[in-house]
Amino acid sequence: MIACLSIPGFSLRAPLLRRPELEGKPVALAPVPGTRPLLGSCTRAAHEAGVRPGMLLSEALATCPRLELVEQDPAGAEEAWEAVLRRLEEAGFAVEPAEPGCVYFETRGVERLAGGLEQALRRALDAVGEEWGARVGAASRRFAALAAATVAPAGRALVIDDGEAHLFLEPLPLDLLPLSPERREELSELGVKRLGELARLPRSAVADRLGADGAEAWQLARGEGGAGVEPRRPPAEITETLSFPEPVANELTLARALAALLERLLARPERAGRAPRQLALSAKLVGGGSWRRSLTLREPTAEPDRLRLALASKLAELPAPTAELRLELGELTESVGTQAELVHPRGSRLRERLRVGLRQVRAAVGSADAVCTVVEVAPWSRIPETRAILVPRDD
Amino acid sequence: MVAHPGDPGHSRSARRLNEPRPALVACEDGVPAAVDRVRVTVVREEWRVDDRWWTEEPVERRYFEALLETGRNVVVFRDEASGKWFRQSA
Repeated sequence: MIACLSIPGFSLRAPLLRRPELEGKPVALAPVPGTRPLLGSCTRAAHEAGVRPGMLLSEALATCPRLELVEQDPAGAEEAWEAVLRRLEEAGFAVEPAEPGCVYFETRGVERLAGGLEQALRRALDAVGEEWGARVGAASRRFAALAAATVAPAGRALVIDDGEAHLFLEPLPLDLLPLSPERREELSELGVKRLGELARLPRSAVADRLGADGAEAWQLARGEGGAGVEPRRPPAEITETLSFPEPVANELTLARALAALLERLLARPERAGRAPRQLALSAKLVGGGSWRRSLTLREPTAEPDRLRLALASKLAELPAPTAELRLELGELTESVGTQAELVHPRGSRLRERLRVGLRQVRAAVGSADAVCTVVEVAPWSRIPETRAILVPRDD
Repeated sequence: MVAHPGDPGHSRSARRLNEPRPALVACEDGVPAAVDRVRVTVVREEWRVDDRWWTEEPVERRYFEALLETGRNVVVFRDEASGKWFRQSA
């Protein structure tokens, strides 16, 4: 069986878990700074008060003056989602995350361990924890499992038998299908509002009118397609975080801090000469929000200059002063031999000597933080202690 | 079970460079006469720093650059909010 575990409104639920005082209140995710002021997900109380995701902020506040706004925290949500995935993996499930709040897994392997399908699904829910209000759907096809997870109550599992999938899907709305809003609108105008209504149409007619997307949706509506799960490889990322004594907005300072983080990451022994293919830069913003950008390199590299160049442009997108900067190296390639160089690049011997010297100093002092790099933060400041910071180095 | 080759990651805090250190300053008419029990020969310069008045932690300092009788040059300041003296490289 394929199971789908769903946590509706995950991006809002993650910050709400840290603010229990907002429990039961009308709350919505604040618009992303620097974009159109449109609301993100909202709680049930906000929904009952007439607030909808995607609404203009002014309209939402006029509709529900008691509406509380929570800053977008994509980095926090990503971290919380990774923790959920890891708990599922620790419970024995090989997971295929679809998006934050939705993950697929195959139950077969764990069924024997847990003593049956129901018990395996219970095990998954227990692993995630009841605070998330997760629900699980299981079926022989991915789409039916997703639909079952959408219908199941919080903390419960719903199993759809193979022969009943099309009956179960029939009355459900088209929202579940991976269709663009325009396509959904088109179908609605044609009087097709339920999965069953779409499934009853001839395939050729749907494909003719809606193209390949429509044909795929038609197949899903009939409870077909998508019978496998491709589990992820548990990430082997290495992370480094740098907290600033006070929020930094200056791009030059951030670039220097990024260089220091990169230097420390590349010096980490667990990297073992492997080069990253993915990088993720995240920041805690002043005021409580967060920001995150991921980057996939065309070719894995461990050259600091190339990595710095790739990441530098992302810093310009930071929407507010930063209290903490975090860098992750992901998808580390397999270790490969390094071709020895006939002629050493200029300065490489000096750098090697410096590295040995620093190791000696660190050993003599007995502290890993004994050696630091001075990073100028605000050299123009009239307050001397805010002009520069000391960043510990690892090489 | 699925193994996790990853690790929780390193987190370190950057420290401020040139943090003010408390100093023992004896004054005469609001001007340092001795710093850490060493007499001041001459006050070479004096200036004020008023900054961050728009925040909840405004900075109000009166700096003095003084030459001690040992020949050392020191910079001290009086924090106007707390009335305490500090030493700092300016």
